[in-house]
Amino acid sequence: MVAADVIAFTPREVKVQPSSPRTAFLKDRYLRAPLMVDVEYIRLLTESHRRTDGMEVLERRAEDHAYALERLTPVIHPQDEICGNKTRFIRGAIPYANYAAGPFLKGIRQQEQDAQQKHIDQGHGGGIEQSLALAQQGDHRVFSGKFLISDRDFEAFRGVCEYWEDKCFMEQGDRLWKEHFDEAAFIEKGWTVGLYTAPHEPCPEGRLILDFEMALSKGYRAILADLEQRMAAFRPASLQEASRLHFWRAARRSLQGALAFAESYAKEAERLAELETSPDRKAKLQLMARTCRRVPAEPPRTFREAIQAFWFTYLLGHIEGSHLGYSPGRLDQLLHPFYAADRTTSYAEAVELFEELFVKMTQIEYVASLSWQGLGHGNLYQNLILGGVDEHGTPADNETSLAILDAQIHVQMTQPTLSVWYDDGLSEGFLLKAAECVKTGVGYPAFFNQKTYVEHERKTSSLPLPVIRKHAAIGGCTEPTLQGMSYGVVQAGFVNHGKIMDLVMSDGVDPLTGVRLFEPTHPETYDDVQRSFRDKMHASVRNWQRYWNYVMLAHRHTVPLVFCSVFVQDCVGRGQCMDDGGAVLNSSPTTLSSGMVNVANSMAAVRKLCAEDRACTLDELRAAVTANWVGHDLLRRKAMQAPKWGNDDDTVDSLFLDLFRDYCGWVRGQDNYLGKPYDPSMLAISTPVPFGKACAAFPDGRKAFEPLADGVTSPFPGTDTRGPTAVIRSSSKVDHTEIRGGLLNLKFHPSALKGERGSRNLLALIKTYFERPGFHVQFNVVDSEMLRDARRRPEAYRDLVVRVAGFSAYWVEMSEALQDQVIWRTEHSL
Amino acid sequence: MPCGTVSDIQAYAVHDGPGIRTLVFLKGCPLACDWCCNPETQGFGSDLRYEAWRCLRCLGCVGACPSRAIEEAFGVPRVRRDACATCASFACVDACAGGALAKVGREMTAEAVVAEVARDADFFRNSGGGVTFSGGEPFAQPEFLLAMLELLRDRGIPAAVETCGHARPEDLAASEPLVDAFLFDLKLMDPARHAALTGRDNALILSNLRWLASRAPGKVVIRHAIIPGLNDDPATHAALADLMLELEVRRLELEPYHPLGEPKYAALGRTRRCAPDPRALDEGRMGDLVAYFRGRGLCCEVA
Repeated sequence: MVAADVIAFTPREVKVQPSSPRTAFLKDRYLRAPLMVDVEYIRLLTESHRRTDGMEVLERRAEDHAYALERLTPVIHPQDEICGNKTRFIRGAIPYANYAAGPFLKGIRQQEQDAQQKHIDQGHGGGIEQSLALAQQGDHRVFSGKFLISDRDFEAFRGVCEYWEDKCFMEQGDRLWKEHFDEAAFIEKGWTVGLYTAPHEPCPEGRLILDFEMALSKGYRAILADLEQRMAAFRPASLQEASRLHFWRAARRSLQGALAFAESYAKEAERLAELETSPDRKAKLQLMARTCRRVPAEPPRTFREAIQAFWFTYLLGHIEGSHLGYSPGRLDQLLHPFYAADRTTSYAEAVELFEELFVKMTQIEYVASLSWQGLGHGNLYQNLILGGVDEHGTPADNETSLAILDAQIHVQMTQPTLSVWYDDGLSEGFLLKAAECVKTGVGYPAFFNQKTYVEHERKTSSLPLPVIRKHAAIGGCTEPTLQGMSYGVVQAGFVNHGKIMDLVMSDGVDPLTGVRLFEPTHPETYDDVQRSFRDKMHASVRNWQRYWNYVMLAHRHTVPLVFCSVFVQDCVGRGQCMDDGGAVLNSSPTTLSSGMVNVANSMAAVRKLCAEDRACTLDELRAAVTANWVGHDLLRRKAMQAPKWGNDDDTVDSLFLDLFRDYCGWVRGQDNYLGKPYDPSMLAISTPVPFGKACAAFPDGRKAFEPLADGVTSPFPGTDTRGPTAVIRSSSKVDHTEIRGGLLNLKFHPSALKGERGSRNLLALIKTYFERPGFHVQFNVVDSEMLRDARRRPEAYRDLVVRVAGFSAYWVEMSEALQDQVIWRTEHSL
Repeated sequence: MPCGTVSDIQAYAVHDGPGIRTLVFLKGCPLACDWCCNPETQGFGSDLRYEAWRCLRCLGCVGACPSRAIEEAFGVPRVRRDACATCASFACVDACAGGALAKVGREMTAEAVVAEVARDADFFRNSGGGVTFSGGEPFAQPEFLLAMLELLRDRGIPAAVETCGHARPEDLAASEPLVDAFLFDLKLMDPARHAALTGRDNALILSNLRWLASRAPGKVVIRHAIIPGLNDDPATHAALADLMLELEVRRLELEPYHPLGEPKYAALGRTRRCAPDPRALDEGRMGDLVAYFRGRGLCCEVA
């Protein structure tokens, strides 16, 4: 123990600055900017939509999108070198009224948007503080809790929302399930009690990674030429076949719009170059204009052109959909050939460009319902995964991988969420640099075990091993997918297993709202409790899956992704958009859950207290949790001492595994809207906080309204008493090849990872976990004293980034409840 | 099967030997250093600990104690240490709703300890780590310690021992082939001061060190705690350096005093006999000390 640790908190070991004055400027500008809503895109889309009535659905979608792209204001901010922004503002969001106008209208009319809203907090600091402050000053107002919108735009947007009110994806889906789904009432009740997350339609797209390799190797003109050839050779016969022509025509239109977008940036760069007095900047702008004319139309020739080509394709796909989890994939693999071949770009220059790219990615905001804004907490889960192995199984880390790590070490933005596909053969230099990045405290990279995912995918999709290895990537938070060839994972949102536990203990009635979801079954023994949970879990999950299948019926005719489909194999080849099954992999839609650790701990407590030790009857335990443990202190203590997950204790770990296996098997019993079995997954994002707020006390000793355990296999805070190796031993009992995901958070005090020795210990920890095998682990390396100081003096911590759950966030922009949760998570130190 | 009293087992220890390690704290020590940071490990057998900040004032402990050693004072329980028999039942701990009362020290067999620590064998292997015995004084329970060392050797798990050196020479000799590193404490060099501040003089300690240094010098790392006001003086530093150079033991780790152990005394119903000021040991002071020892030709680090 070092004396200094005790006097004040331990500062972060690795603390660096952006590598150039330019990127320091870009970062600083970001940190000072308010959050803005930009209605330009949706206004233009709507303008076109009013006029394209009668067009075939896919062609109409492409036409509306292209129309907007051709007219969007190209904005090049001072000192930018990569062109293209989603909005006109530094931090801007597009409100996708075509996806879900309802929540915006309710916000505008100052009505409650959904039942979960009251459990969701958002932060107040940083850029949010800017927005709120500026709203006081005149012709702007607050929108959706933390954004700023001009009064004029607000009126225009109101009109746009009213237009989409009956036409949007959400409304069209609602019409179907509310009338025809026999368990519609159960879903509504589920929302009221907090069994389910709020409707996901405002931001359902995501976990999608486009085929950037194809976009860069061919260029859009060649893809257009290919489309023309296909259309020329096509001889439609059946009606079903005929629809291919519509897709190709739509694809063509969307690419034309994309090229117009790039051209508008070329013109804007030229215009600015004309006005520019500094010769350096003038030359830069002229280069940018030439670059925007070259890509994405033609394949890139240099590293700069490659980054620009990537960014255009990425951005254009991002604009098309209301995404949460749309990701860049294996960018080091994509860009390294260009870097290696380019003699004009040094390592330092590459790092600097990546820093700018990451600022640009972070600048993208999303506006949705308040509930979903809170759940993502400002993060778009743009997951960039490095390293791993190539199709032959050879470790694939390269110098570009190092440059990307260095860029994030220097600039520390919250996007992309950086990840590493772990393999024992990765070079030591790369792994040590990844450890160094972890020690900056930003919470990434997270480490993923590629072998585990490869095995899951072989079981699920039966694709060849080289294909799986090459395309393996993470879409979003921690959900693996095959980049460039998979349907995005559009699913309903989360099932709250903690709420199911509530319903078990109070025999079908929600203890907090009094709403009855299940008929009483009068459980008296531990076995009854187990059975009750299983039945209620089955019903909750199955209803949720079926409800969403109804909702997705509306997706194809309201918001099919056309531009994105062009860049997902094998849509162009098959002549089908993703919604029609054009992707190679359609088993990616998942069913998500949260809170299983609390259930396992609660079952263990019921068994120990009621069945084994006979410290109380089930009725007495029920009375204690109903009273939120008040007046039952000794019983609560015994409940807290019952076995807890995360201590390598088989008595409770086996309960978790039973729950896990039952869940996985059950989820797969329902087909998704693409005709494949739903893939089980578990995540958390920030659901433990609102889900916990909606739950009463649990038999494991947790009090009402406290957050649930975070992640998937993370222990409940304070209950892992045997150290991180025991947490890993518990977590590695789970067969992660059974699910599409997994999430383990470990928090370390900085002194536990100090120096190169500390880095090597960290790598040894990861290696050992993955040998066992595990799937995912992420680290929060921070002193909780520092976080408490950041609570007291937020002004001194504007750029502090911490890991939350599958994403990192700026501390000052997090809600208090989420800040509390991060502090509360167990610290592993000496 | 030998058994003994263990005070705690802590995994992912990274400051007491190389790699990822598990620390096994044995309970009981022949010394009684005034500044001890783990006073709950000094006594043999079990101790009762009362952490006031956890207390819920339910007073369940008062009625539960068979010796009536807990009384209520102003709504708060007070343990009368003279009456507390640290009985086998520890009924007060079972009755405590807040977890304020706890028993320190549990009986375990050597096999049980090794089975527990061996669960991390793959972590040890991948990081070059292992098990470190500490406490208390591991050699104060020699049969227990030796049995565990042998079981670890059989499993190929490296072992280190932190010791104050006050051990029977035959036990030290028996352990030496089974131990990869001895983290050997030297606290004070002057025999009279040693006896006054730790309860024993250092003759046995020094003779054990001499034996170990001649037998297995590569296994010895000297640990020296810097206690402001008690041993942070030039005479002690010089004598320590002189001895190490004489014995050709070159690795030295300095441990600056930390106050985290202070609340433990009150929790055990004891009073501390000294109050070192940790603020005297800032980075500058520690830097000076490291420079001194390195200047004398030793490999010196701050632990």
